[in-house]
Amino acid sequence: MRCFLRFLKAKRYLLLVTLLLGMSLPSHSTELAVGYGELQYIPPAVGSYQLPVLGQAAEGQVLDEQGQAQSLQSILQGKYSLLSFVYSHCSDVNGCPLAAHVFYKIKGLMQEQPELAQKLQLISLSFDPERDTPDIMRLYGANFKYAGQQGTWRFLTTHSLAELSPILQAYQQEVQREVSLNGQSTDYAHMLRVFLIDPELRIRQIYSVGFLHPDLILNDLKTLWIPVAQQVPVQPAVSESSNMVKPKQNLDLLALAQQPPLGLPPLMQETLKGLTTDKILLGQKLFFDRRLSLNNTFSCAMCHIPEQGFTNNAMATAVGVEGRTVRRNAPSLFNVAYSKRLFHDGRDTQLAEQIWSPLLAVNEMANPSVGTVLNKLRSLADYQGRFEAIYASKPTMSNLGDALAAYQQTLLSANSAFDRWYFAKQEQALSMEAQQGFRLFTGKAHCVTCHQIAEKSALFTDDQLHNTGIGYRESLGLRSAKQRVEIAKGVFVEVDRSIIDQVSEKLPQDLGLYEITQNPADRWKYKTPSLRNIALTAPYMHNGSMSSLAEVVAFYNQGGIANPNLSTVIKPLQLSAEEQGYLVAFLQSLTGSNIADLVADAATAPIGDQTQQDPNWANQLSQPLQGEAR
Amino acid sequence: MSVSFKSQVLTILLASSTLFVASTLPNYTAADETCMSPYMAKITGQEDFVYVWTLGVEGLGDGQDKLVTVDVNPKSSTYGKVVHTLSVGGRNEAHHSGFTDDRKFLWAGGLDTNKIFIFDVSTDPAKPSLTKVITDFTAVSGGVVGPHTTYALPGRMMITGLSNNKDHGGRTALVEYNNDGSYIGTYWLPTEQALAGAVKTGQYADGYGYDLRALPRRNAMFTSSFTGWSNYMMDFGKMLNDPEAMKRFGNTVVAWDLHARQPKKVFDVPGAPLEIRCAWQPKHDWCVTTTALTSKIWLIREDAEKGWQAVEVADVGDPSKIPLPVDISITADDSGLWVNTFMDGKTRYFDLSDPMKPKQTYETQIGKQVNMVSQSWDGKRLYYTSSLLANWDKKGDDNEQFFKAYEWDGKELVQKFVIDFTAEKLGRAHQMRFGARSLYAKDQVIDPTHFVQLKAP
Repeated sequence: MRCFLRFLKAKRYLLLVTLLLGMSLPSHSTELAVGYGELQYIPPAVGSYQLPVLGQAAEGQVLDEQGQAQSLQSILQGKYSLLSFVYSHCSDVNGCPLAAHVFYKIKGLMQEQPELAQKLQLISLSFDPERDTPDIMRLYGANFKYAGQQGTWRFLTTHSLAELSPILQAYQQEVQREVSLNGQSTDYAHMLRVFLIDPELRIRQIYSVGFLHPDLILNDLKTLWIPVAQQVPVQPAVSESSNMVKPKQNLDLLALAQQPPLGLPPLMQETLKGLTTDKILLGQKLFFDRRLSLNNTFSCAMCHIPEQGFTNNAMATAVGVEGRTVRRNAPSLFNVAYSKRLFHDGRDTQLAEQIWSPLLAVNEMANPSVGTVLNKLRSLADYQGRFEAIYASKPTMSNLGDALAAYQQTLLSANSAFDRWYFAKQEQALSMEAQQGFRLFTGKAHCVTCHQIAEKSALFTDDQLHNTGIGYRESLGLRSAKQRVEIAKGVFVEVDRSIIDQVSEKLPQDLGLYEITQNPADRWKYKTPSLRNIALTAPYMHNGSMSSLAEVVAFYNQGGIANPNLSTVIKPLQLSAEEQGYLVAFLQSLTGSNIADLVADAATAPIGDQTQQDPNWANQLSQPLQGEAR
Repeated sequence: MSVSFKSQVLTILLASSTLFVASTLPNYTAADETCMSPYMAKITGQEDFVYVWTLGVEGLGDGQDKLVTVDVNPKSSTYGKVVHTLSVGGRNEAHHSGFTDDRKFLWAGGLDTNKIFIFDVSTDPAKPSLTKVITDFTAVSGGVVGPHTTYALPGRMMITGLSNNKDHGGRTALVEYNNDGSYIGTYWLPTEQALAGAVKTGQYADGYGYDLRALPRRNAMFTSSFTGWSNYMMDFGKMLNDPEAMKRFGNTVVAWDLHARQPKKVFDVPGAPLEIRCAWQPKHDWCVTTTALTSKIWLIREDAEKGWQAVEVADVGDPSKIPLPVDISITADDSGLWVNTFMDGKTRYFDLSDPMKPKQTYETQIGKQVNMVSQSWDGKRLYYTSSLLANWDKKGDDNEQFFKAYEWDGKELVQKFVIDFTAEKLGRAHQMRFGARSLYAKDQVIDPTHFVQLKAP
C-alpha cells in the first residue's frame, strides 16, 4: 500500500510537471524510469563501497538566472553538486523531466535534512541557449519552488552555442538536433547524464536513466561524507596466485648462496666470487620483466613461476610469445646453480650464456636480435644507471646474462625432511613410509644410479642424458583413435582423434641429445633432472606427459618404453603397489624448507609491464592514425 | 538508417518501447544490437557499416591486427565490400570490442599484448581512425592480463580480464576506465581464498573471468569465466591433449552489486561459461549464458525467495562431441537465442518463449568453423565471422576465414554476400560492431514514414 501511495504521489507530481511544461503524459508504451518510483532493490549500504574519481569537472562560462556571466567551476567549487543538462521544453518523460523530478524530490528532502541543504546544490544547465535565456530558465525554475525554500537549485544557461559547445564536449554530453523533413528543428535527442561533483571539482558519479534515483544519490552522498577513517575498508585487491603461501618479504639471497641449506654442497668459488646483492637484485628485476620479449608479454618468470616450483604446473610443454608451442616442459630452476648441463638436451653449460636462447627463440621471447634486447633496456627509464653502477658499463650481452644468472644461482632450496634425517641424523624427521622409500630408492629400484646422493650432499642427478623411451614414444608411437578429455572437474568425454586433429598444429619433432651431437645413438636422450622439490614441479618428464609422481614411479617400474636406444639402467623393477607408494612418499620428502621464503622474496620483485613512459610508437600517438580506404 | 539517443539509456525502460516497436513488425524477431550495453544508443534501422576486429596472420598481407570496415547498406554502391582497413601494429590477439556509451569511440582489446585500441568512429563512420592506445593496462590495473569485454557504463568502460601477469593463469579482475581512457579501479573476481564478501553457492570460486553484462534495473552485474592466457593462447589441439591445461577452465558465474562493484554470489556453471546476454523485457529478470566445453545453456534468473540462481536449462548439440558453443545472441523481445557452435560451424536458433525450456527450432551450417554472430536490431539481418582465437582456429583447409551476411525471414537464413578474409589478405575475422552515419549527424531527420524509432536504450 505504501508503495502504491508513493506511486500515486509520483503520478500526481508528474501531472504537475506535465501541466507546467506542456508535455504529454507518457503513453501506455512508455515505461517510467526507476527514478519516478520506489527503488526496486536494496541499495548498497552507505559507506560499504567507494566512489572513485571519474575525472575533473570542466570549466565553462555560464549565465545565471539574472543573466550574470559566471565561471561554472566557481559555482561548483566548495559544495557537492548534482549537475544536469536539460532544456526547458523537453517533452521526453524519461529525459529532462526525470532529472527535474529527481531534483525536486531531493529539494524536498533538503527541507527536512539541513545537512543535505547545506552541503549539496542542484544545478540544471540548459543545452538550448537559443531558447533558454536566463529569463526562461528563471521561469522554468519557478515551477519547482513548491519543493521548499531550503537548499539551492540553480537554473543556468549559456550565452550562445559557441560558449556551450566546449562545456558539452568536456562533459561528453551528446546532443542531436531533431529536424523534420522540411528542415524545421523539432526537438533534441540527448543522453541523460547527471553528474555528482564533489567540492574539489571531481566527478564522483555519473547517473543515467537506469539508476537516477534519489535513494541512490543520497547513499552516494552520505558515503562521500563519511570521514575516510570511518569508512568500511573495501576488500583488498588480491592478485596473488592462490597458492601464494606468505606475504611479500625480502630474503637475503646472497647469504643463502654463501651458505646453502643442509643437503646442498657449497657453490663453486667462481660462482660465489661474482655474486653481489646488487647483481642479484638486478637479475631478479630482469627475471620478472615482461618487456624483455618482443611484444612485452614474456619474462623468464612466465614459464618459471615462483609459486609453481619455478616451472609451470599448468601445462605439459611450454608456450611462448603469441602462444607459440615450445616442445618441452619448462624445467624448475631450484638449485640450477649446480647444473653442469642446461636444457633438457644439455646443450648449454653456463647460465649466463644460456639465457640468450629463450631471449632469442622465436617461440619463446622472440626478440629479433641481441641488439634489440640491449637497446630496449638502455632506453627504459627504470634501468637507467643500474648496469652502470654494477658493471661500469651499459647493458651488454655479457652483463645481462651475468645478472640473470646471479639471481638464478641463489634459488637454493634444501633442508628437506630427507636432509634432516639423512645428513643431520634427525630420526624423527622422515616418515616411516619415506624411509622405506629411501631404501627402495637406493636398493631395489636403483633410482640412485642416476639420481645420485653423495656423502655430504645430494643433488639427485648424474648430470647425464638417458633414453627412457618417452621421447621415442612421442616421435614414433601410435595414438589412440580417441582422446579422453576432461571438460569439467570429473567430467570426461572420449573425443574422436579426427576432431582434435582439426584444431591441432603439426607436432614439432624432438630427438633429444641427437639434435646436438648428430649421433644416432643419442636419439631421445634427455638430462636427468634433480629430484629436489619434485613434489612442486609437476607435470613430469621432459615433455610433461605425466601428471603425478605415482605415474612416474609406475613408468619406471614397468621398465620405461622399449626402444633400440633405451638406457641400459632402465629395467622392470617388480615393485609392488605398496613399494611404489613408499617411493612416492620419499620423493615427497625432498621439498626444501625455504620454498615459501623464496616465493615471498620473488613477490617483492616488480613485474615489468609496459608503461606510458616506455618508448613505443603507441605511446607517442600525437595525431589519430588513419587507415586505408579500399 | 535511423537511430536515437533520446533519453538514452535505459534499459529496461527502453525495452518496453523496443517491444512496442518490434511488435508492430511482422515476422521479425529482434536482435543483436541487444548484445550492446543498455546504456547506449542503438541503431534501430539499417546499419551502414560493420566493424570487424580482425586478427593478423603471420605471412598474410601485412600480418597485423586491423579494424576492417564492411559496407552493409544495400543502398550503397560499395555494398558487400571492405571499404576501409586500419592496421594497428602487431598481432595482439584481437578479440572483443565495445563502444563507449556515447557510441563515438570503439574500444578494442588485445588478449595477448593487453593493449586497448581506441578508435574514433564518429568523425567519419566509414573511416575509423586510431586515436589512442592504452599500453599500460596491465601495469596500472595491478597485473590484469587479457582485456576482453569492453562494456559501456555511463561515462566509463568496464573491462573484463582473462588472466594475470604472475602466472598467465585464469585468476583475474574487472578493470574500470573513464571514457577518456584514464584508469579508475580494479575489482578482482572472488576466489576461495578471497571471496571479497561474496557467497559461494556451490563447489567453485575460481576467480576466472570472461564476459560481463548488467541489468541496471536490478542493480545486478554478471561475469562468466573462461581460462587464462596459457590456455587461450595455446594451440587448441595441444591443449586438448594436455590434462593439466584442461583442468584450468572456469566453472563459475558471479553476480555482482552493480552500483558497489562488489561480488555477491558465486554460482557453479561448469565447463567454461562464455558469452552472457541479459533479457530486455521489463519483467524478465534473467540472463543467459552457454558453456563452451560442456555445451549447455544456463539461465541466471532471479527468484523471489532465493534471489539470483543459476539453472542448467538445455544442451547445445551433442555435448559428447564438444561442439563448442561460442557466441550467442538474444532477440530483443527475449523470445529467441542464436547459438553458434565452432566445431561443426553451425548456427542454431533456440525458442526462448519459456526460458526454463529452450527448444532448438532451426540450425544450418555457416562454414567449416564459425564463431561470432551479430544481428540488426530488427532481427532481419545476421552477420557471421569465423575466427575463435588465433591458435584455436582450425588448421589447413578447414581454416576458413570469412565475413558472411544473411537475411532471416523467421524460417530460413538466406546468404547475401561473403567476404573471404584470407583471399582479401586481411586475417582472421572476429568480432563485429555496427556503425551508422546518422548516429553522428548534427541534425537527425525524423522521417515519420520510416518505421524505426527507438527511444531509449
